[in-house]
Amino acid sequence: MTELKLPSLDYAALAPILIMLGAALVGVLVEAFVPRRSRHVVQLTLALLAVLAALTMVVLNADDRLITAGQAISVDGPTLFLQGAILVLAAMALLLIGDRSVERGGAFVAQAAVTAESADDRRQAEGRNGLTEIYPLTTFAIGGMLIFVAANDLLTMFIALEVFSLPLYLLCALARRRRLLSQEAAMKYFLLGAYASAFFLFGVALIYGFTSGIPGRGAGVDFSTINAAVTESPTSPVLLFAGMALLAIGLLFKAAAAPFHVWTPDVYQGAPTPVTGFMAACTKVAAFGALLRVFHVAFAGAAWDFTPVLGAVAVLTMLVGAVLAVTQTDIKRLLAYSSIANAGYLLVGVLSPSRDGLSGTMFYLVAYGFSVLAAFAVVTLVRDADGEATHLSRWAGLGRRSPFYAGLFTFILLAFAGIPLTSGFTSKFAIFGPALDGGQAWLVIAGVLTSMVLAFPYLRVVVMMWLSEPGESTPTVTVPGGLTSAALMIGVLATLVLGVAPAPLLDLATGAADFVR
Amino acid sequence: MTTSTVLAAAGDVSGGEEITFWILAPLALIGAIGMVAARNAVHSALWLVLTMLCLGVFYVLQAGPFIGMVQIIVYTGAIMMLFLFVLMLVGRDASDSLIETLRGQRVAAIVLGLGFAGLVGGALYRAMDGTTAVGLEQANAEGNVQGIARLLFTKYVFAFELTSALLITAAVGAMVLAHIERRKQDKVDQPSTMRARFAPGNYPGPKPGPGVFATSSSVATPARLPDGRLTERSTPDILPVRELTAQETSLKGTDQ
Amino acid sequence: MSPSYLAQDPTLADFGRDPWWLVLIKIVFAFAFGLLATLLGVWFERRVVGYMQVRPGPNQVGPFGLLQTLADGLKMAFKEDILPKAADKVVYFFAPTISVICAVTALSVVPFGPMVSIFGHHTPLQVTDVPVAVLVLLACSSMGVYGIVLGGWASGSTYPLLGGLRSSAQMISYEVAMGLSIVAVFMTAGTMSTSGIVAQQGHGTELTIFGNSIPAPGWYAILLLPSFIIFFISTVGETNRAPFDLPEAESELVAGFMTEYSSLKFALFMLSEYVAMVTMSAVTTTLFLGGWRAPWPITIWEGANSGWWPMLWFFGKVIALVFVFVWLRGTLPRLRYDQFMRFGWKVLLPINLVWILVLSGLRSIEDWDSRGKLIAVGIPAGILLVATLFWPNRRPQPKPTTQEQVDNRPYGSFPLPPMDLQVPPSPRITRVVAEREPANIATGSDSREV
Repeated sequence: MTELKLPSLDYAALAPILIMLGAALVGVLVEAFVPRRSRHVVQLTLALLAVLAALTMVVLNADDRLITAGQAISVDGPTLFLQGAILVLAAMALLLIGDRSVERGGAFVAQAAVTAESADDRRQAEGRNGLTEIYPLTTFAIGGMLIFVAANDLLTMFIALEVFSLPLYLLCALARRRRLLSQEAAMKYFLLGAYASAFFLFGVALIYGFTSGIPGRGAGVDFSTINAAVTESPTSPVLLFAGMALLAIGLLFKAAAAPFHVWTPDVYQGAPTPVTGFMAACTKVAAFGALLRVFHVAFAGAAWDFTPVLGAVAVLTMLVGAVLAVTQTDIKRLLAYSSIANAGYLLVGVLSPSRDGLSGTMFYLVAYGFSVLAAFAVVTLVRDADGEATHLSRWAGLGRRSPFYAGLFTFILLAFAGIPLTSGFTSKFAIFGPALDGGQAWLVIAGVLTSMVLAFPYLRVVVMMWLSEPGESTPTVTVPGGLTSAALMIGVLATLVLGVAPAPLLDLATGAADFVR
Repeated sequence: MTTSTVLAAAGDVSGGEEITFWILAPLALIGAIGMVAARNAVHSALWLVLTMLCLGVFYVLQAGPFIGMVQIIVYTGAIMMLFLFVLMLVGRDASDSLIETLRGQRVAAIVLGLGFAGLVGGALYRAMDGTTAVGLEQANAEGNVQGIARLLFTKYVFAFELTSALLITAAVGAMVLAHIERRKQDKVDQPSTMRARFAPGNYPGPKPGPGVFATSSSVATPARLPDGRLTERSTPDILPVRELTAQETSLKGTDQ
Repeated sequence: MSPSYLAQDPTLADFGRDPWWLVLIKIVFAFAFGLLATLLGVWFERRVVGYMQVRPGPNQVGPFGLLQTLADGLKMAFKEDILPKAADKVVYFFAPTISVICAVTALSVVPFGPMVSIFGHHTPLQVTDVPVAVLVLLACSSMGVYGIVLGGWASGSTYPLLGGLRSSAQMISYEVAMGLSIVAVFMTAGTMSTSGIVAQQGHGTELTIFGNSIPAPGWYAILLLPSFIIFFISTVGETNRAPFDLPEAESELVAGFMTEYSSLKFALFMLSEYVAMVTMSAVTTTLFLGGWRAPWPITIWEGANSGWWPMLWFFGKVIALVFVFVWLRGTLPRLRYDQFMRFGWKVLLPINLVWILVLSGLRSIEDWDSRGKLIAVGIPAGILLVATLFWPNRRPQPKPTTQEQVDNRPYGSFPLPPMDLQVPPSPRITRVVAEREPANIATGSDSREV
């Protein structure tokens, strides 16, 4: 037997990933060895420091354009940009997750195994400190996302998908209030997610079969092999199309595109609100990062084949998101459908073949992530004795009672609606512009029309907050502690700054917008 | 190299392989259908075991003995066994409710499922028609196990190491979702139980038995103490308090 | 080692070339071996346990009672076959069969001896071998659980169900420990085929101590002692033998999963238990005790490891291991269920993992000189040992005296008798004592000893 030779690993380029996974492992050990009362502080500090360190490494690596660990990981412009985006948004989400001033003990249950609605459960809901295992889980999820956007073969991508999904399934089940809803959400997410993973894996197998026919080259699932196979392989393209479709199902599920979106409203509603924010911002970045890489690097040669199908999915997603958002009566479900519609807009960006399209998509991801995290930060604040008051009727007259937070929320909603001077406008512009140039006018028309539909539910909430009288049941807005305020302020300021002066970030995105192949 | 490895490596389908396939493939299919159709959850699991065993043999047949054996050990041996374990704990009579929450869902699911299977099967059949298998000899050149090891520790080493993150997450998740941590003050040892039993206000003796057969045959009937009072202590707490009818409370004619 | 000696080791290429009749003979032989081993094994166990308990054991039927099991088997076949009303009929019927099939199948990859010549065919004394033979063994033992679990479930009654559940938990837990201890064997042997593992154990390493080279034995039981011990303990757990026979603990569960079984089906369960015991002994012999290779003093004779002789050594080792099984049953009390589980998960598993880690560490630094190796292993091990020995444990709280505890009881507690209560002797006792004189056994002079 010949010697096995380990492929070279560029540890500096892998550092952000390794730091996050390492921090998660340390976090698990902290659970075992640090006394209970100081765990929360230690874990939160550890997680934030790890994110900071990883971000530093991303910045230091900014000029890397390489493929390492065999063919498994590619570190290039989009990878680094999206990794940076995930880390910044994850830091904000961690601030929300770590907050214990809004609700005594935090937004997470103290013991997830206690039967929901039992006497024990009521006792622990009153103020026992929440689980601290959420921090290692979140850190694992962040690590998985970092790998997901960097993965350069489908197998690594699949495992990264699982690495960031599994903690998310768990986190969804750990809400302190309305635990049955939370557990139901986690169950649905888990079952449907497992299904989507199965489709993804099936697709990988078919693609592997497709690559086997290239003359003078072994089969493989790394993107350069697939790219070569798309143009050269004499094998029947049926394998390619079937594989591509199944892969797309797996990825579009994570991106919450119709018709694979059905989990989104339930999960967004049931999960603890900080986790919902984390999913809405970071998962979206990760999923679209992977979509960009798969369709721009691996299947670039088949663009003519997949563009019409994905375009139809995009239109359907925009329509479903916008139309169903109109009928929602729960603020978290409303935001969920809005995130579905936004997935549709992002798909328009994915389908623009140009460099501008890529940079626009990445810019949109960052801008949307900031806004949506700020939105969910406000949702955590509007609460009564039973926890968050998410029904829309409860928000009536909120503007009279606490004009400051209602004002912030109005601003974010206007950004979602795409009003100028907000990041929503500039990011939509950044996506629709290249699409028009690329000859995808029909997508742009659908996008603009659905944006107009989507503006209606947003404005309805605004009108409700400001023009109704506060009733008996209008909850108060809790004055947040430092962590939530910080996250909220970062989100709102970013939304404003990216709306007024988007040029620096756009330039950064444009500079990063080339894949290493 | 075993016989099957040599035969499969030759590239064409040998007689033995074909016969085994045509025996086991229908069995695997029957197992899969039986798993969906069986009413009893344990039978479902057993059908699934059958399918998985057939798959294991297929892998061995296709010159992948390692993955075949691992399939049998891990899937049928460990995972399905845990499944059965849970099913048996839940109870053998627990069968699914047959009420459809969405009307026509089952028919739609069957139609769509068959359609999808037909689509994928047909496409694969068309795509694979006339394809010759290549690469088995290179893959198994050093032996099957060694070949897998080579891939795991060179080309896919990063993905392989990454699975450890999955396993740790799974372990943490199992602990978080299933483990109830009992605090020190909640733990009751024998001396403190005894102390509580003899604490003031608690009667340390055994509770009186229920008044079954005195006036009725229900265990919810309270016992009558020597001084003529009824005592609530004789009935279990979980039984609902029931209003007795006049007929039930009247004497049954056994006192004469 | 002479070349002719090595040539006796079969390689994987030697398998799959036999004519069909030879394969049939081997299969029938392995099957007959399983059955015969059961017949003799039951007798052996009863005689040995009888000897340990100072009673004769079966000695009436046949010479030395050898045919007792046969008689029992016949009796069992003629008993009424009961099918409980609540039973799940198909599963109830198949469960014992699964058990037996899995136990017997495992014998097919056990090497009974080296290459021999049968009717002119040069062939290994082993039904077959595959590159993953040890995994076949593991698969058989993990499938064997199904027989027990399904038997317990299909009986439709509580005790069998509990027995079945216990056994499934038990077997899964101990299979983990078992699989991990085999990992050490794989790592050392570099192969998963049973014949290959036996061949590897023939090459003893040369130890150099104080300038003299001493040929060390190649048995993995010595080289991988922790693995061997854990493996053997887990085989006892895996075969449901005492002291780990919790699935059939008669004091708790009547007869566990076999409570409802009678007649031939019961006999099949019985058969599978003993075949599993023999199979596991054979596997242990193969993996750790050098298989069919002759033990040390016999190896001085050149021809010990060729021809048909090795089968004798193999059977000798298997019988010795079966004796250990019986010995355990004769001497050890049954563990409580939670103790048993804790032992498996919290003792065997961690030790195994650490040992594999140490072993792979040792193997990866093989190219160091031996002093560096000693230092690299010895110092951390020493530190660990010292740390565990001198780890400061928390000082226990001083325990309040009984009087303090009594004084601390809240007002109105249940009345207690005074602590210094002198109980007056009962008049009846004094009378008895008075009538009886103290026995004086030591001197033995008193003839009225009680």
